[in-house]
Amino acid sequence: MSKKNDLITRRDFVKGASCAALGMAIGLPVIANEVAKEVTKSRVVLVRDKYAVASNGKINGEVIQRMLDQAVTALFDRKDPVDCWKALIKPDDIVGIKSNEWHYLPTTTQVEQAIKKRVMDAGVLEKNIGIDDRGVLRNPIFRKATALINARPMRTHAWSGVGSLIKNYIMFDPNPPNYHENACAPLGKLWELPIVKGKTRLNVLVLFTPLFYGVGPHHFDKTYTWVYGGLAVGADPVAVDSVGLRLFQAKRKEYFGGERPIKPAAHHIAFADTRYHLGTSDPSKIDLVKLGWEEGVLI
Amino acid sequence: MATEAARAVPNEILDWKVTDTVETYDRESIFDYINGAGEVYRSYAFRDVTVWRFSKPDAPDITVEIFDMGSPDDAYGVFSHTRESEESGIGGGYEQRGSVLCFWQNRYYVCLAAYESTDDVRQVVTMLARIIAQKLPQSGGIPNLIGLLPQEGMVEHTQRFFHIHASLNYHYYLAEQNILRLSDSTNAVLAVYEPGTTWLLCVEYPSAQEAEEAHGSFVENYLPEAAETGVAMVDVDKWVSASKLGRYVVITFDAVSRARSTKLADAMKISLIDANLGTGNDQ
Repeated sequence: MSKKNDLITRRDFVKGASCAALGMAIGLPVIANEVAKEVTKSRVVLVRDKYAVASNGKINGEVIQRMLDQAVTALFDRKDPVDCWKALIKPDDIVGIKSNEWHYLPTTTQVEQAIKKRVMDAGVLEKNIGIDDRGVLRNPIFRKATALINARPMRTHAWSGVGSLIKNYIMFDPNPPNYHENACAPLGKLWELPIVKGKTRLNVLVLFTPLFYGVGPHHFDKTYTWVYGGLAVGADPVAVDSVGLRLFQAKRKEYFGGERPIKPAAHHIAFADTRYHLGTSDPSKIDLVKLGWEEGVLI
Repeated sequence: MATEAARAVPNEILDWKVTDTVETYDRESIFDYINGAGEVYRSYAFRDVTVWRFSKPDAPDITVEIFDMGSPDDAYGVFSHTRESEESGIGGGYEQRGSVLCFWQNRYYVCLAAYESTDDVRQVVTMLARIIAQKLPQSGGIPNLIGLLPQEGMVEHTQRFFHIHASLNYHYYLAEQNILRLSDSTNAVLAVYEPGTTWLLCVEYPSAQEAEEAHGSFVENYLPEAAETGVAMVDVDKWVSASKLGRYVVITFDAVSRARSTKLADAMKISLIDANLGTGNDQ
């Protein structure tokens, strides 16, 4: 008897200890031969500001706008944020800002409005800009969108490991459970849907007060959030999610005093790279640029 | 909504009052309530969940959820899915972490949660949980297979009860494919043992033939070098064994030695035999 060639088991990634640090360092079942391909470095800008979140928990919109501007100028090596947005968005684009409304930890209106302002600065009429989450399939702006901006917080998730930028597009399919198989391994396939394919111009991972640990299958407990005051921004959603995942593992290690892999493994991020070729998950191939508040940056 | 669940929830406790909005979600609509995490419940025989919200001016709301899991085994199973500690005194067992308290009782899995964990909230959550537990049906023991796990060397609170492949991968990532042929019709238990971190998995199949086929699939796809002996070292000081006994497949992962691997598997099989299971006469 012999093992079938297309079978992927735990033994494969135990043997593949030399594979991307991602899988081995954080418990992801990433297969060595699936990540071996050469990729161009994907840039991710992590910008933090200690004043992004006030002591009462309120988000400072002015600070957020400044952070977003810093992020895009660093991302695209330009001085003027509006120039960056003009390179991303054309005045005749119809722009959907895909948000996330989970009431405990939403994208926040401050982030949505900061993005919207810059999209308008790029020349897009307000009537051609939509912000939505669960209603995207019914939203006329999203149905005819020519450009998407993807923005959401990262949080732990009982079935996918983390709620990620990749996962944020699940509402673009009328049947989200189609992507639940094997701890949401196929989430990268979402990005091949005609309604989104090739339209995403920017990904913004909100890391203001991330939920790094979940109690029970679905509960939110503020105890397991912390003020990080960050945004991770990039053109490559896989790379940005990979950075977020590293941050979560670092925070869990700090908080619990030892390795505490995310369960289930957030392998949809690695598979988005190796199987769906959506971007880069390997940290060694990600150009991480860190700006702003350094204390407690963790990664 | 099950009447007995509705009867178990009071209209008020201390100064928290239940709001008018009581919602019920079934196997299909649960995604409207908790999106993808609903799959955790659907991996068991979950029927529905009813949700109550208690509010008090200038205090965090408290949410009460009563999940009808279809059977006591599955109520225990979903409780065991994420529990890291367990205390007795509420239901069949409970865990309180931060502002969330969950317990299981009979076929119900009950969670009480608040946005913030203040002393007041923790006190009222505990009190409310006790009231609900008193009113729900009392009976409902742990799954038979959980009771048969060898006790010697078991790490506390690591026992899990589940049915499907995705649940196994949650606790111990085995393979992307379902090489053990787990399904809604299989019952599986998993626990961690010392020394080291040895995992013991025991799966009950509907028939001895299905167990044999699953065992064959596992050996073929995961442990081909152990086709004859049933045990092999897969990495440095990590031994895996696989054996079958009637309707049961017993596997140990990551044991520190061959002897430890087979000894733990043997202890499980002795438990099955002592319980008159696994002999082929229990079908």
